[in-house]
Amino acid sequence: MSEDGKTKLSRRDFLKLAGLGAAATAVTAVAGSAKPVEASFRGAPFSDPAGRPKRPWWVKTVDQPTTEIDWNIMLRYNERTGTVRGPGMAGYVGPDEVDRLTQAAQRNELQRMLDNVDGYTLKDHALAAAHVGTARSYLGPQKVQTPEDRGVPKWTGSPDEAAKILRAAMRHFGASTVGFIELNDNTRKLIYGVDPDGKDLIFTDELEAYETDDARYIPNSCKYVMVYTVQMSTETMRRCPTQLGSQTTRLAYTRSEIIQASAQEFLRGLGYQGLAESSTNALGISPALGVMAGLGEMSRLNRLITPEFGPMVRVFKVLTDLPVAVDKPIDAGIMEFCKRCKKCAEACPSESLSFLDGPTWETVGDWNNPGHKAYFENAVTCMQYWREQAGTNCGICFAVCPFAKKDKAWVHEWVKAGSAKAPFLVNFFRSMDDAFGYGVQASAEEWWSLDLPEYGIDSNQAVKEI
Amino acid sequence: MSDKYVIEIKKRPWYEWILWAVWLFLLIFVYQNAVTSGHELEPRAAAIFWVSFVVLALGGGVVWFVRRDK
Repeated sequence: MSEDGKTKLSRRDFLKLAGLGAAATAVTAVAGSAKPVEASFRGAPFSDPAGRPKRPWWVKTVDQPTTEIDWNIMLRYNERTGTVRGPGMAGYVGPDEVDRLTQAAQRNELQRMLDNVDGYTLKDHALAAAHVGTARSYLGPQKVQTPEDRGVPKWTGSPDEAAKILRAAMRHFGASTVGFIELNDNTRKLIYGVDPDGKDLIFTDELEAYETDDARYIPNSCKYVMVYTVQMSTETMRRCPTQLGSQTTRLAYTRSEIIQASAQEFLRGLGYQGLAESSTNALGISPALGVMAGLGEMSRLNRLITPEFGPMVRVFKVLTDLPVAVDKPIDAGIMEFCKRCKKCAEACPSESLSFLDGPTWETVGDWNNPGHKAYFENAVTCMQYWREQAGTNCGICFAVCPFAKKDKAWVHEWVKAGSAKAPFLVNFFRSMDDAFGYGVQASAEEWWSLDLPEYGIDSNQAVKEI
Repeated sequence: MSDKYVIEIKKRPWYEWILWAVWLFLLIFVYQNAVTSGHELEPRAAAIFWVSFVVLALGGGVVWFVRRDK
């Protein structure tokens, strides 16, 4: 205090405060630099000529995926008889068992609705049934004018430019991340031999794709695969297995129908072909294509886990003859993390996920495609649980995954970076994940009172970079 | 009475300032996680981070108070 009664700062105190301020500024700057910056939404141009987003420093591109593949063993998969969806299930358990499970599901559905069971009420059912999309088709709507119709030459540009405009368009249509691969003799095996509806998928030297009653013909020139993800809502998925949780995937599939049709029409408008899924999950093995396109890694779920969204995505693909700059697989430490974590396998109510300490070449059943080293799941017991117990699809394994975070808190990024670079910490991170209450099932009724963004997702999660 | 007196100035060691910087960094880190865990609708994580923040802040305050004249 000075003689005239006014407070004066002594030089010593001033220096102390200045030092403290400088330290705070420095620490904040350091902490801030560790956090990915949301760059793309600043409206800045792509920093990569092919429009590839910058990714966190702990995500590195690699020549070979973290999933070992023996291309000599792998064959093009028959999705008609192989998958447990649709008629494939009867092949594994018999039609009587399928009927019994279907009746059980219907009985449970009605009873739960009458009993107002959380997540199975009429309003939950109504929400789940409300997603009505457009029809998928292999060749697309084919309604927009081609360059020929307009009397102009078709669009031309470098592979980088092509990839860049496709990324821009796909993000605009609603895709979250986009990657590209070029089919060769090996990766062509990731395209089904038979589609879910029983039609053969046949590569041909003809230039135009077409479809008959028995087959879909893929021109050899359509050798570029655009693989893209559609983000799912963590808030509804964490309410699995309920009708509310179930509609999470349904919404993503519905959104993808519009994205797919838009992509096909965009390519047509440029003067190129866009060949896509004729029905849900048709055309090829999405997780495998996602891995090859660098969108993520395989996991103990035997599904794709991305660095940006964890498993909270659905993966889709479009074949095209527009030459694009292709991407490489990534190593973000995810497969390594799955070796030690096992949280999904422990949470799986039907014990359908692998508890092995590492991936294996040994498949569990014909629903798995051999030729890659993975954590193979028992899809039949999983499906039986869906029908008999859950009454909907499940998704618990997605919800509990430590990578399924909203990434607002800095700690998530640190954990992901830490586990990628120091795998011996994974057990500790897993224990902390449990202790902090992540992945605990939430009340479906509570969801109806939440003020959430469109589609229940944070699309900023997709555009983070360091 | 002597007309001489001695002023003794004790300089804090460099490592003490480092420790204070670490403390401040942890405080900011825990605070950010506490606030955003609430935004993430993760109540248990938010509670743990808030408790950690309070303990860390109070701990630092107590240490500063005890050592302020040393």
